[in-house]
Amino acid sequence: MGLTGPQSMSGLPKEELGGELRLGDIPLSQTVELVRIDLPAERAEPLLERGVLPGCRICPVRSSPTGDPIISVDGSLLALRRETANCLCVRLLSDFSQESQ
Amino acid sequence: MRDLSTPPEGSASASAQIENETRSPLIALIGPPNSGKTTLFNRLTGLRQKVANYPGVTVEKYVGQVQCDLEQTVELVDLPGIHGFSARTLDERVTRDALEGRLEDLPAPDAVVLIVDCTRLESQLMLVEPVLKLELPTLLVLNMWDELEERGGNLDHMELAHLLGVKVVKTNARVGLGVDQVKDFLSGVEIRHRGLPPPVRVLNNVPRGVPLPMIDAFTARRRRVDKVVDRASFVQPGPAQSTERLDAVFLHRIWGPLVFLAVVVVVFQSIFTWAVPLMDGVELLITSSGEWLASRLSDGWFRSLLIDGVWAGVGSVVVFLPQILVLFLFLGILEDSGYMARAAVIADRVMYRVGLQGRAFLPLLSGYACAIPAILAARTVEDERDRLATIFITPFMTCSARLPVYALLIAAFIPDRRLLGPLMSYRAAVLLGLYGLGIMAAVVTAFLLKRTLLRAEPGSFVMDLPPYRLPSARSIGLRLLDRSKIFLKRAGRVIFAVAIVLWMLTQFPRLDTGPPPIEDSALGRIGQVIEPAIEPLGFDWRIGIGLVTSLAAREVIVGTLGTIYGVEDATDDSITLQETLRRDLTLPAAIGLLVFFAFALQCMSTVAVMRRETGGWKWPILQFSYMLFLAYSGAFIAVRLF
Repeated sequence: MGLTGPQSMSGLPKEELGGELRLGDIPLSQTVELVRIDLPAERAEPLLERGVLPGCRICPVRSSPTGDPIISVDGSLLALRRETANCLCVRLLSDFSQESQ
Repeated sequence: MRDLSTPPEGSASASAQIENETRSPLIALIGPPNSGKTTLFNRLTGLRQKVANYPGVTVEKYVGQVQCDLEQTVELVDLPGIHGFSARTLDERVTRDALEGRLEDLPAPDAVVLIVDCTRLESQLMLVEPVLKLELPTLLVLNMWDELEERGGNLDHMELAHLLGVKVVKTNARVGLGVDQVKDFLSGVEIRHRGLPPPVRVLNNVPRGVPLPMIDAFTARRRRVDKVVDRASFVQPGPAQSTERLDAVFLHRIWGPLVFLAVVVVVFQSIFTWAVPLMDGVELLITSSGEWLASRLSDGWFRSLLIDGVWAGVGSVVVFLPQILVLFLFLGILEDSGYMARAAVIADRVMYRVGLQGRAFLPLLSGYACAIPAILAARTVEDERDRLATIFITPFMTCSARLPVYALLIAAFIPDRRLLGPLMSYRAAVLLGLYGLGIMAAVVTAFLLKRTLLRAEPGSFVMDLPPYRLPSARSIGLRLLDRSKIFLKRAGRVIFAVAIVLWMLTQFPRLDTGPPPIEDSALGRIGQVIEPAIEPLGFDWRIGIGLVTSLAAREVIVGTLGTIYGVEDATDDSITLQETLRRDLTLPAAIGLLVFFAFALQCMSTVAVMRRETGGWKWPILQFSYMLFLAYSGAFIAVRLF
């Protein structure tokens, strides 16, 4: 079960997913905005409770020795697994500002 | 204890009056992990309590008394840190149930103190809304205020208080700033009239009856929090420079794992070498005090019971106190400094391959001292199946109770010869091999469990990385005191009882001349009944009795063998015990016995704590049988291999 309704699941056509950015693809120090969490509710809850919510700003600050991302959210440092990071759809903040103009 | 029974209708005021006279107000202290909750608790109560810079250390609830002024005291309960009220972990369940007054041994609180780390205010304030639903007098403590200011953050705390409708206090609990204002709040708390417990759960992450998906409920609440925070002119502090610099080393691609390995090596080294002089000291103290006591008592059954039974039995366990304390000292420094969270991140990939997660690292490392605190520490593991798997494999970690057994058998049977030049002796290699055997068994078991009974999708591992902080000697000192008390209590109860029962069984049936020869005593006969079962392993009835008594605690076998072989003091004069062991046990059987101890779950306290932590007998029975099976077959194979 997807958290933002059925269209968020991987049932989407490939081309629509193509342009999507995952947190795992973002270079260090590049702040992004979280769009969607592609995880079942039960597994997304720990993230939600720690402030990883759609609309929040995330900045990958470091990569752990095992290549997993360490992110900064709301002034907290969180360590994720790259598998989890790849379930977080994000967009660059510049895209965001263009949209709002 | 307090009377928790619900007063019948009509007599409510009368019973409330009685309550007023018999107990002081109870205040619940809650907050997210690592917000300084336990530090504040220690400041307020002065009670020993574990505090650490590792998310999720308050694994049980602690109650302490706060002296508000000369006359008035209130009770403060420190509840496990929580991020929300999903009750996904055992910790969260304890906190939720305590706040709602659903715990049997704790009444519903009369007020709530919610402490948050104000350097990351937005996400921490997510707890405010559900807590306010309790409709209790609430104090919001903005902890780490100094850090907020240092790092260039700001907040209008008066405005925040106004917007939320609660009292707000700024504190720096580490140095005690603002603690008096918290006390002022506590002194004003009155006992509520208490009726029936709330009929429906009030604490949820997602409000009941709301058709929104969970994420929308969170986002909506977050929007409200953001609005409040904005209006209170919150300025987010900049990143902690020192933490960034330290992480650049501790989480470095190359240095990170090296530091990690160095830390593990130092912890082990500390247990095995630096603790030894202290242990020798304690041993000397026990034997000399025993001798002094013996010289004061007339020869008779009472002296025999006290010296050979109790003193030797309890003493053989108390010897391990320094070792356990040294380990906990290191764990305490690692936790308080914030390094442990980094270690968990580094360990996560390896754990993940086995089917566990990085949070299991702390419980498993603690398991080298003692499985009991380790099993409790597993409460911080978020996924229930991961937690069970962690608990299940913890007793395979070579706990310090196995050491005296290993030490005795290795000294008796393994020649003191060099294996790898000056680096390693045969004895050290065997000891290392036994540690390796435990780790192997743990890995294989976890692997099997996660593919059978505890099969699950790999969870989403999220680990909070707190800023690095200098550990305070006070907090670590208090914790070590607490540990010693727990350990001595255990030694006092279990070992004391075993020692007495054992001693009595050696005294009966009495002959005219006095106690019977050991093989004719009740104990000897029990051993002979067991003998056929353990004969394939090359053990005789004496070892059999040792195995039975060591069911209470592993180290008891040393004292037991001492008693059986008629050696007056097994720990003091272990040369004699070693010699007699060599006479009755072959080398393969000795190795078999070592393997048996590496695997078997001979520890009633572990079984008891397992039952409590897993909520039934299923897991402890399964674990006991599984480990016994491994121990028996392992010893069976070892005897034939060597």
